[in-house]
Amino acid sequence: MPDLSRRDFLKLAQDSLLALSGLLGLGGLIRFLDYQTEPPAPTDFDLGLASNCPAGTRKVIPDVPALLIHDASGFSALSLVCTHLGCTVEEEAEGFACPCHGSRFDPQGIVIRGPANKPLRSLRVETTEDGHLHLYTA
Amino acid sequence: MRRSLLAASALLLLALLAALWQESCRSKPVALTPVLTGQVEYCLTCHADLPEISRSHPVKTFGCVLCHGGERLSLDADLAHSTMRGGKNPSGFSVVEASCGGDNCHSGAAADYRNHIQRATSSIQATYAGAIASIRYTFGAQPDLTARLGIFAIQAPQSASGITGLAAFDPAQETNPAIQAFAQDCLYCHLSAQPLAEDEYSRFSGCAACHTPLSDSPPTFSENGGSHRGVHTLTTAIPYTQCNRCHNRGNYDLRSMTFVPRDDHPTGRLSDYYQPIAQFARCEWTLDCVDCHTRAEVMGDGSLYSGKKEIQYIQCRTCHGTLAELPNTKTLTDPNDLAFRLAFLNESAGHFESAWRLEVGDTILVTGKGEPLWNIRTLSGGTYELFDKATRQRFTFRPVMGSGCQQKADEQASQDCHKCHAVER
Repeated sequence: MPDLSRRDFLKLAQDSLLALSGLLGLGGLIRFLDYQTEPPAPTDFDLGLASNCPAGTRKVIPDVPALLIHDASGFSALSLVCTHLGCTVEEEAEGFACPCHGSRFDPQGIVIRGPANKPLRSLRVETTEDGHLHLYTA
Repeated sequence: MRRSLLAASALLLLALLAALWQESCRSKPVALTPVLTGQVEYCLTCHADLPEISRSHPVKTFGCVLCHGGERLSLDADLAHSTMRGGKNPSGFSVVEASCGGDNCHSGAAADYRNHIQRATSSIQATYAGAIASIRYTFGAQPDLTARLGIFAIQAPQSASGITGLAAFDPAQETNPAIQAFAQDCLYCHLSAQPLAEDEYSRFSGCAACHTPLSDSPPTFSENGGSHRGVHTLTTAIPYTQCNRCHNRGNYDLRSMTFVPRDDHPTGRLSDYYQPIAQFARCEWTLDCVDCHTRAEVMGDGSLYSGKKEIQYIQCRTCHGTLAELPNTKTLTDPNDLAFRLAFLNESAGHFESAWRLEVGDTILVTGKGEPLWNIRTLSGGTYELFDKATRQRFTFRPVMGSGCQQKADEQASQDCHKCHAVER
């Protein structure tokens, strides 16, 4: 190892510190610019392989929230967001009930009892070429 | 020169490392995007331990900022709280429209008394018009007991009482010393008052005065223990103790125009009631106040009144009838009947595995004005069952008709029932 002169050592130390500072500063800048306070809500949900949901399936997808239905007519989905104020409705024997303000919907999402006055929203479900089910909320 | 540069670069690195360390020490923001606003808020970073305020207002749907205001993206407590509405009480009447109002919320249509904010702010509990009129009449400042002034000026063009507006009570305009003393000492006993300084009173105004019960016994009973801490809750299952906090704290001394807090230490439910000369039948100290008194009585009906006697109309006969008549009833046929909604929204009664589930076909009692007493239904055999809105207890009672009661036809007010049915205290 060649001998370092005092001058070269100081220069190397200075350059190293500056380089490290620069890297840290750059990292912070990237983090700052890249930070999203309000990331957009997802509108496309990959539900996995369609083969995992055989006919007769009624499966709650909590992240949406929605109810995935596979019946004789194929795949469909019903939003579980109450059309009154947006609470998540719960499935019960007669259809759906909103735990917040008591709205009731029949199994097709039609209003039985207010305060909601619009039916639950139907959501689009598609099967991709690789056999995955995708549910779209937009 | 090179040494200086070296020192500067070392300092720069240290500063950056310090900033990085400080950043890593900060709690990671907990983001919530409420359904109703669609805007991220970070309040749960510090407030994740708060319980849901009510089943009707889940944080996932409402978030915090919609009701409380505040800076939703700030992680600095002072900045985040700097623009909160109403401080600890966003339901204070000066800010309630912004906090709780809106067509889908509590400024809804007038149908079925859904315009709760308009009703509450025009009620005598908010205007204090009855007390002001009474005092001004007593001391000769007005010729009768009709309300002319309120704590604040208010108009109610559709007022059924005939009083379509109140001017603001201005103590500076009063010349009688007793009225001035009243203005100085007695104007904190209404829903739009500036709460007293003590922490237990911080939510004793606006909607929270009734709908956010404290978790302990009333303030006057502090010697019995209790923290006086409020809890993060909104409920219609209001226990009598919450009503007692205002209505049972003591009495006004009309000679000195001062409030005299009670200094006794009641040990039982019956002795909780302070008014020494008042009489109480069993149901009045067994049930909770909200079991009998309706929302129109307590929160008003949108009209302006001169005193509580003009709006408070529930009598013993509302539930028990008279010798000649059974109480008014109504069979529920419409799934959208108001009774279902009121029952559902009561925390004690309302969930799907409810303790009190109304069904189409049930027959409930209604008041003389048609308000549904959803917590009382008829049973077979001519009896009635009452569900206590706060305690979930059930009580069965009979009508007066067919009993051995000997009341006279023209003496059927509650005070007449008390002649026989008041308990000894």
